[in-house]
Amino acid sequence: MSEKSDYWKIDEKLVKHVAKIARVNLTEQEIEKFTKQLENILQAFKELDEVDTSGVEPSFHPQELKNVWREDKVKPWKWDPLENTKHKEKKYFKGPKIV
Amino acid sequence: MKQDILKKAKEINEKFNVFITIADKVETSGKGKLSGIAISVKDNICTKGMQSTAGSRILEGYIPPFDATVVEKCRKEGAFIIGKTTEDEFGFGTFSINTGFDVPKNPLDPERSCGGSSGGAAGLTVAVDFPHIAIGESTGGSISCPAAFCGVVGLTPTYGRVSRWGLIDYGNSLDKIGSISKTVKDTALLLSVISGPDEYDSTVLQLKQEDFTKHLKDSVKGIKIGIPKEYFGEGVDEKITKLVWQAIKKLESLGANYKEVSLPHTKYALSSYYIIAMAEASTNLAKLCGMRYGLHKPIKGNYDEYFSEVRSQGFTEEAKRRIILGTFTRMAGFREAYYLKALKVRTKVIQDFKKAFKNYDVLIAPTMPVVAPRFDEIAKLEPIQHYTMDILTVGPNLAGIPMISVPCGLVDELPVGLHIMGDHLQEGKIIQVAHTFEVNK
Amino acid sequence: MKAIMGLEIHVHLLTDSKFFCRCPTDYENKEPNENTCPICCGFPGSKPKANKKVIDCTIMVAKALNCKINPQMFFSRKSYFYPDMPKNFQITQYEIPLATKGYLEITNKKIGITRVHMEEDPAKLFHIGGDILSAKYILADYNRAGIPLIEIVTDPDFRTTKEVREFLTKISSILEHLEVYDSSKEAALRVDANVSLEGGERVEIKNITGFKNVEKGLNYEMVRQESVRRMGMEVQRETRHFNAETRTTASLRKKEFEEDYGYIFEPDLTRIEISDKWLKEIDKKMPELPDQRIERLVKDYGVTRYQARVVVYTDKALADFFEECCKIYKKPVDIIKWIVTDLLKSLNWNKVTIRKSKVKPKTFIELLKLIDTGKITARLGKEVIKDYVVTGKSPKEIVEKKGLTLIDEDKLIKSVKEVIKKNSQAVEDYKKGKKKAMEYLIGQVLRKIKARADPNKIRRLIEKLV
Repeated sequence: MSEKSDYWKIDEKLVKHVAKIARVNLTEQEIEKFTKQLENILQAFKELDEVDTSGVEPSFHPQELKNVWREDKVKPWKWDPLENTKHKEKKYFKGPKIV
Repeated sequence: MKQDILKKAKEINEKFNVFITIADKVETSGKGKLSGIAISVKDNICTKGMQSTAGSRILEGYIPPFDATVVEKCRKEGAFIIGKTTEDEFGFGTFSINTGFDVPKNPLDPERSCGGSSGGAAGLTVAVDFPHIAIGESTGGSISCPAAFCGVVGLTPTYGRVSRWGLIDYGNSLDKIGSISKTVKDTALLLSVISGPDEYDSTVLQLKQEDFTKHLKDSVKGIKIGIPKEYFGEGVDEKITKLVWQAIKKLESLGANYKEVSLPHTKYALSSYYIIAMAEASTNLAKLCGMRYGLHKPIKGNYDEYFSEVRSQGFTEEAKRRIILGTFTRMAGFREAYYLKALKVRTKVIQDFKKAFKNYDVLIAPTMPVVAPRFDEIAKLEPIQHYTMDILTVGPNLAGIPMISVPCGLVDELPVGLHIMGDHLQEGKIIQVAHTFEVNK
Repeated sequence: MKAIMGLEIHVHLLTDSKFFCRCPTDYENKEPNENTCPICCGFPGSKPKANKKVIDCTIMVAKALNCKINPQMFFSRKSYFYPDMPKNFQITQYEIPLATKGYLEITNKKIGITRVHMEEDPAKLFHIGGDILSAKYILADYNRAGIPLIEIVTDPDFRTTKEVREFLTKISSILEHLEVYDSSKEAALRVDANVSLEGGERVEIKNITGFKNVEKGLNYEMVRQESVRRMGMEVQRETRHFNAETRTTASLRKKEFEEDYGYIFEPDLTRIEISDKWLKEIDKKMPELPDQRIERLVKDYGVTRYQARVVVYTDKALADFFEECCKIYKKPVDIIKWIVTDLLKSLNWNKVTIRKSKVKPKTFIELLKLIDTGKITARLGKEVIKDYVVTGKSPKEIVEKKGLTLIDEDKLIKSVKEVIKKNSQAVEDYKKGKKKAMEYLIGQVLRKIKARADPNKIRRLIEKLV
């Protein structure tokens, strides 16, 4: 990404890569369609380059929020964590293997 | 009588698909500010023991183990929950067509959209003949838009005014729970109940619970209205602009004064909004992978294969598009130009509003640039054109300021929304102006 | 070939509740998923709320590691998919961690600390039907999910595993002295270790539990990389898994597909501003650190620096034990001698830490007093200590029950006489000035009376009687 304008381009290879990171399988047709649509969307986003944001702080929230926390107090939650899953064994959640 | 209401709700639903789930029985704690009022809850807000899917098949069958704070508060005030209203999957849309379930139809014209993403909430509100207030949620305009399209009132409070505990997140730094109802009074009543501090939400503001109905005054004397010129530009239906101007003149005749104002970064709000919302959304949706709740498939392959399989089946096309786009904007190499840049542009958008509110009590603009479109018209739109529909609502949503959409007349027999926006925490002022307009129009 | 190593150390912080929810943190001996709630299991609609104690503890660690503490910081979402991740992102810190640019001194060297930050632990996985590489499916226990972790990242400053060991020992001791870490929990300390041979690619060994395994893993990996090179091949950049049973590493994933963590700021949490006032409050709470303690022990108790290091670095509780003993018996030099030799040996033999053992200052001092007052010999003391560590019984009782008290004078003289009689050659040698002969004679007496007399006393008796 040497040229600044490169940021605003996307191709099928990149869409495939992103889909892999996002754990979404796309069909060839979807990749083709998405690539075109995303190209259009990114072209619209490109206008952000026009805004001079040098020295501007990012806004993580609409209003500044800081130092919200709680004290170190225990309060157990009464529930059955496995109620919503079919994938369980004994009292464990069951899931797919790693490799 | 209450069983009657459920029967009516079912009838409405059969015609307009406004519910994803309808309660099988009526439960209420009895007395309170909401006693006797049916409350519908947007499906992305958790209701203990009642399916909550956020409009997505990937959460089909999900029974939350807890109530959202807003739901708990309503129950304590004697409300009964009649069901969960249809929405675009996770709030991803402007027309509620991106739902994983049946698309809600506008009761005013079933060929047309209710708007989105709280489409079912607004559609139900216009269709009912019993006391009802809807709990809606807005990330980029999802209360104002359907309220405008269905000709009802939609109130989006200041970001942090209402606890988000129990809200299935879209864009956590943008999401606001609010109310949709037939009258300004009812939206104010519901806000009085659901707002206030909550130990479970770190971003909720530490303000005392307030009674917003006290702002239901019939007066706008001395109220200074700013008219953001960028909100009346290209792409806004001229007939809508005309109606909105009539409303402004009406308020002037009631004692308010107005002046044109500029919000120079309006144009950039849309890109900034979509980038932030999608970046946050793509992380929020990662947890949906078929292991702990929601859609399950037989466990096959490794986690990469299994998670990808479940997610590909459970999400609609729009959700996939937003996940991909959101993941892209925060990837190494792109993050700076998209995500971080969008956060900085957000600062500029907020500054525009803050500057305007130094001189004005409220800002007034059209809520939507068009009236409720027909489904066949929507089908022709490209994704980017869908996004552009939000041009008038994303700015205030990005800035987290309160806004209310009230009906201000009809264009081609379809309702038009008047958008009244206030400074942070100035819900009182917008309620007052909206109420005055409502009783005098 | 020179090796270059760096560490990422993850330590469970000692808090009562988890980082972002109020579930308890004591996951040992619990039913699977007993200590969970919708927050630490990542259920839709749940939101985190930060535990302030985690921030306090991390500030203390950062201070102890000479770091620069950022006046304001953020939490971030680190996105990657894995079955142990409740949300498929981890709340951690990215751009602005709590602290950066510190160091820790080890022998003749400073190890740079790149950063110190806070994050949440994922769940514990069990690989069913094989190991991580061959299992059929996994089972997940989220009791551990959401427990606060501190991550300490070092610069790649290590050249030998000996340096790594010294560093880890020191870090562990610091964390113990700060009372933020429980060294007795095996999973409480986990390390990702990076190692490369000069000019070669870097290999990351993930998730090594326990100190000793870090050394083993690194040693194995260095040998492996060397042999790869010797065979004329290149070491590949990859992530490897350490198998504690076979003490080997195996490839987990090659770097062809690298996760992109796509960090964003955690929008459900707020910015944290650390004021000077807050830092001053922490300063007041800062306890004595290991190095300071070692110096104090040397100065106040007159023990050697070596002895002080042994008690402090072995286990904070051992140093505490030493000081407790000194309170009730003012003979620190004798006390520490017994601790660093026989007590420690016996504890290690029984694979028990001082805290979990039955050894208590009062009874331990009782034993020392038995020796000092001549009730038993030092040699017998060494025997008694073994029994004592196992049973925790009063040393007096042990001595009495086993009949280990000194024999009376008459019996002793009688025995000495018998030995002199039987060993005339040795007696002659002694008279000729052979010192070894005396030692031999004393040994014979001790054997005869089962060591129930003071060797010095025996020496005097032999001198008198020959």
